[in-house]
Amino acid sequence: MPVTAAPPAISIQGLTKRYGRLTAVKDLAFEVNQGEIFGFLGLNGAGKTTTIRMLLDLLRPNSGSAAVLGHDCQRDGLEVRALVGYLPGEVDFYGDMTGRDLLELLGRLQRRPVSREYRRELQERLDLPDGDLCRKLREYSTGMKRKLCLLQALQGDPPLLILDEPTEGLDPLMQESLYDLLFQLKREGRTVFMSSHVLSEVERVCERIGLIRKGELALLSSVEDLHKMARRNVRITFSADVAAQPHGLPPEYEILEVKPRAWHLRVRGALGPLISSLAGLPVLDVDVAEPRLEEVLIRYYREDNA
Amino acid sequence: MKAGLALFLHSARRARTLVLALAALVAGFQILLAFAARSLEELNTFGRLAALVPDFLRQILGPSLLTLLSFRGIACLGYFHVAILATLVGLTIALATEPAGETESRFLDLVLSHPLARHWVITRTIALLAACIISLLGAMMLGTRVGLYWLVPADLARATFRVVPELTLNLGALLLCWGGIALAVASTARRRGVAGAVTALLATACYMTDVIAQVWRPLRPVATYSPFHYYNSLNLITGSSDVTRHALILACIAAAGFALAYLSFCRRDL
Repeated sequence: MPVTAAPPAISIQGLTKRYGRLTAVKDLAFEVNQGEIFGFLGLNGAGKTTTIRMLLDLLRPNSGSAAVLGHDCQRDGLEVRALVGYLPGEVDFYGDMTGRDLLELLGRLQRRPVSREYRRELQERLDLPDGDLCRKLREYSTGMKRKLCLLQALQGDPPLLILDEPTEGLDPLMQESLYDLLFQLKREGRTVFMSSHVLSEVERVCERIGLIRKGELALLSSVEDLHKMARRNVRITFSADVAAQPHGLPPEYEILEVKPRAWHLRVRGALGPLISSLAGLPVLDVDVAEPRLEEVLIRYYREDNA
Repeated sequence: MKAGLALFLHSARRARTLVLALAALVAGFQILLAFAARSLEELNTFGRLAALVPDFLRQILGPSLLTLLSFRGIACLGYFHVAILATLVGLTIALATEPAGETESRFLDLVLSHPLARHWVITRTIALLAACIISLLGAMMLGTRVGLYWLVPADLARATFRVVPELTLNLGALLLCWGGIALAVASTARRRGVAGAVTALLATACYMTDVIAQVWRPLRPVATYSPFHYYNSLNLITGSSDVTRHALILACIAAAGFALAYLSFCRRDL
């Protein structure tokens, strides 16, 4: 029996969306594998939400195509949306509805009935007890609305979650709880596609990222590779004054400061050449700071602003 | 189908209080009108009222004036009084512009991120319009019937009530027509306020055109484009109006509006 490879969770090919003269998304192309947590980054107005809305067939692309788990987002939109749980970035609720009314309504729009046990479990994880769900939505705080939106996205137990700024408005404890939930979903084989501004969050949660800049994909990389691209701060302290200057270092090494008893360098790549250059010197301490993803991403963002 | 029904019930629950309150109001108004008509009839006021109307006004308004100043005209006043018409058309526009409101608030993002075909949003609104119009006109008809049979001698009540189904049918067609126009506008709009204002302005312009055309002959060809031209209530009361043709014309405008709404909403960016 022939083995067929599982289709990517999301496949985007040459996707372009124009609003009059403005090109919001231009020739976007990337894939998200099944079972991964993918971070979709970009500055405000970069085209993240436009891309997400095209995946859900809320916006129609001018050219290109997008597919979710093998189903074309435009031609086969109903199938796609049956497989997706979506957390919108912003939404206004009817204030006179209760949280439960909203969940029941959206639950009834699902193809499969929503499991009450699963919803209850999610309620506990997201700290949204029955008492809160019985309140009118006009009484909800921003964080509670966000939790309710998360709950509705998750309650159908979909294989793909598309989350637009999922931690926006959540307190730190709830953010932790959400990260745990996302890790659990990943372990269960679900795919998460999330847009975010919070780089530390992306670094912690995502395995791969795509960075969109002015509607175009500027970077597609695993978080691990990004770490390799990032430069580490290395501080070497000597027990005695050292007259020698660092020498024979590769060009990826940036010497920030040289004092008689301390060197401060920014290093990309292996530390071997630095260790070699320290041979015979009275090294007291070597402090290597973890590379920060933010440093790389901010560089990409800055190129955006340049 | 199940999802479409869920969406309809959601909207019906939201509209229910307003529609029920208005239904009670128009039904009560009809009972009150029957009472007023009986009082005027008992005092033999209709003839005296007609005699008070100046000749030039009588010439301009023609036989419709006499219809208005009759027992039947007063008992059925609710079906063509400008305040009632404005309220009913206004409510219809408010209901029909729900898709624009849901687009504006991004509530549709939540709804349509589920496996629900877009056309259900329009189908839901049409069903809601139909249900609300039937409820309101049903209540109005009931109020008329209760008022007439309770307060008026049976012969007069029967004779008067005979025109009510035709009035109701044509008023229903008029409301559906404005619902269709409002829905067509709302299906392309991003703001409910804009869709509502545009349709309300159009309705006011059409109404004014029709009213002015009744007293100013040169405007009559233009007035044929106004839906109100096909709801001539006073002619309906005297039985001189082509009920079926007019109702069909209004229904056709409504159908065209609904078709346009389906087409544009299913193709548009939300």
